[in-house]
Amino acid sequence: MTPSPLLPLDAEVLRVSEESSDTRTLVLRLRDSSARMDARPGQFNMVGLPGIGEAPITFSAIGGDGEFAHTIRGVGSVTRALIGVAPGGTVQVRGPYGSSWPEEELAGRDVVAVAGGNGIIPLRPLLQKMVADRRPDGSRLLVLYGGREPGQLLFRRDLDAWASAPGVEVRLTVDEVPDGWKWDGPRGVVTGLLDHPSAGHPAELALVCGPELMMRFAVRELLLRGMRPADVFVSLERRMKCGIGHCGHCQLGPNYVCADGPVFRYPQVKPYPDAML
Amino acid sequence: MPAAFPARRLAREDLHGLVVRWAGAREVVAPVREGNEVHWRPVTDAAQVDWDYASTMLPPSKVLYKPLVDVARFTRAGDAVATGAVEPDARPSLLLAVHPCDLHGILVLDRTVKGRRFVDPSYAAWRAQTLIVGLNCRHVGELCFCASFGTGPFYSRWMDQGPSDGCDLLLTELEGDCLVEVMSRPGEELLAGTRMTEASETDYAERDRLEESARSRFKKKLEIGGLPELLLRNLEHPVWERVGEGRCLSCTNCTMVCPTCYCYDLQDRSSLDLRETVRARRWDSCQDRNFAAVHFGNFRATRKARLRQFVCHKLSYWVGQHGCFGCVGCGRCIRLCPTGIDLAEIAGEIRRTEKAEDLKGKAEG
Ligand SMILES: Cc1cc2nc3c(=O)[nH]c(=O)nc-3n(C[C@H](O)[C@H](O)[C@H](O)COP(=O)(O)OP(=O)(O)OC[C@H]3O[C@@H](n4cnc5c(N)ncnc54)[C@H](O)[C@@H]3O)c2cc1C
Ligand code: SF4
Ligand code: SF4
Ligand code: FES
Repeated sequence: MTPSPLLPLDAEVLRVSEESSDTRTLVLRLRDSSARMDARPGQFNMVGLPGIGEAPITFSAIGGDGEFAHTIRGVGSVTRALIGVAPGGTVQVRGPYGSSWPEEELAGRDVVAVAGGNGIIPLRPLLQKMVADRRPDGSRLLVLYGGREPGQLLFRRDLDAWASAPGVEVRLTVDEVPDGWKWDGPRGVVTGLLDHPSAGHPAELALVCGPELMMRFAVRELLLRGMRPADVFVSLERRMKCGIGHCGHCQLGPNYVCADGPVFRYPQVKPYPDAML
Repeated sequence: MPAAFPARRLAREDLHGLVVRWAGAREVVAPVREGNEVHWRPVTDAAQVDWDYASTMLPPSKVLYKPLVDVARFTRAGDAVATGAVEPDARPSLLLAVHPCDLHGILVLDRTVKGRRFVDPSYAAWRAQTLIVGLNCRHVGELCFCASFGTGPFYSRWMDQGPSDGCDLLLTELEGDCLVEVMSRPGEELLAGTRMTEASETDYAERDRLEESARSRFKKKLEIGGLPELLLRNLEHPVWERVGEGRCLSCTNCTMVCPTCYCYDLQDRSSLDLRETVRARRWDSCQDRNFAAVHFGNFRATRKARLRQFVCHKLSYWVGQHGCFGCVGCGRCIRLCPTGIDLAEIAGEIRRTEKAEDLKGKAEG
């Protein structure tokens, strides 16, 4: 008999950390020590709890030691329940699923990563790797990240660390600064950062993730600056039930976002309706 | 033309005797008339079968792709939760008198949930346990357009299928008798010990004549050349808004009755004492308002967008996904639409608009 691809595995919650008022990172390890979670940056797991359900959640960290992390914003029944699980507790995962960022195409190329809001989450394991690799070939990495307000920007410590690495530049922006917050950086939408004087290097490859409307403007700006559409990668969010190309919920034209995506070359998704791209 | 597979001539009463024998060994599911509809029901006797049916309400592919299937079971004891697999409940079955469009419906569904990286265990198990006896079609309904796709009215090799992929035996009703084409070894075994004569040239000629006659009676046609691209060029054609917003009730009938629709939802149901939770897949539909809703919005909030998803999936996107159309021309979605929305008519209107514009362009240019 074919084993059901929908059967989840138990993962122990090792540590939980607060990222913002509604977002937490769960560091996990599979309870079955013979099972492995060999994920690539950009892929996702279906993460769930029995009796509540499952939600697609990307990897925010992938350790070589069997530990992996999911950073989750509580927006509905499943995600709120997941961020309520304490260390020592169990969540269930199945995956890894989907496509990943084009790691094999990064070497030697100037890369710009454009993230909005929680869109930084799937980029984090990749950026971490890229920074660790220190870009020995002299190529540059530009990270542009925008959030609604300073308290909503995730992974500030990582961003600071990346900014001090050679060949890496990090630029942050927020829409608004509530009373009591200190902010000397730029304000406004993330696409505005593309025009920052020191940001003006022409990227050869772009990685974009965030609210779909933000991605639309970001992609448009990148193309206006002469990038080839096929060098622009976007990571999409859709409703997902199965994660394995069966349930149909995530479909965008002929694409199963769960199986052919979530990371796509822009021309792969551009022609189809019911998107904001 | 002789059949591609060994064929025999079988008297009708002998076929009827076979049905009784098959029903002794496995569950035989066949078209049975109930009021104004025909449904797939277990039978034990050939007299229960509606041999002259035009179409059934639900397709036979969905006798195999069950509407509600448990996929995982969770049992709690204290803080611990044990996760268990649910074995498919498939049992030896036989689908009897399946029309060619519906045989193709099964082949198309095979490609979506059985023939790719991940396999749906329940469907695969039912498929493996079920023998299929096809029945070439003599009743061309008002809404049938299988001939446009090459999926009917008679069954023939299609795309990359093996001869036995679609059915094990194929019946054609001749004058008085039946022509039986043997498509597989299990099909051969179904006939073991039965009085039959080798089919003659005259039998084949009669079969071909019947096929030609059926073919000539199609009123409904869909031009499929370049159809996927045609629809992609016309995603903002006024027909989507007019028919979607003006007539679609979002009732989801079209997708429920379509032989190839595979979409499902996953739902957890727990016992009152919360000790047991069962996770099940349940048919779902892109016509449901919330099908593509996420926490920040709904990618298909309008009926226009949802109707366009159904029609473009069947007649355009499917080709990119699975290398075939998602429609086999069975006509069910049209017949069971409360407002008579017709995907072939929508595609036809779009083609007529383009042709008219082309002509106008040529006249002006
Ligand atoms: C590939 C991928 C990766 C992702 N990675 C992350 C990540 O790393 N971190 C993260 O925080 N999020 C991530 N998400 C988003 C996350 O999956 C969603 O926020 C999550 O699925 C919401 O599920 P929920 O059960 O918590 O919310 P739900 O209870 O499903 O509800 C959320 C909202 O969805 C809508 N909704 C849901 N069901 C219905 C219904 N039946 N009727 C009407 N409206 C409905 C409503 O607007 C509701 O308020 C990712 C999504 C994808 C596709
Ligand atoms: S789309 Fe309609 S006509 Fe085509 S196979 Fe499905 S139900 Fe039949
Ligand atoms: S998306 Fe709609 S048309 Fe396509 S298979 Fe699913 S329910 Fe059927
Ligand atoms: S999430 Fe089920 S098909 Fe993509």
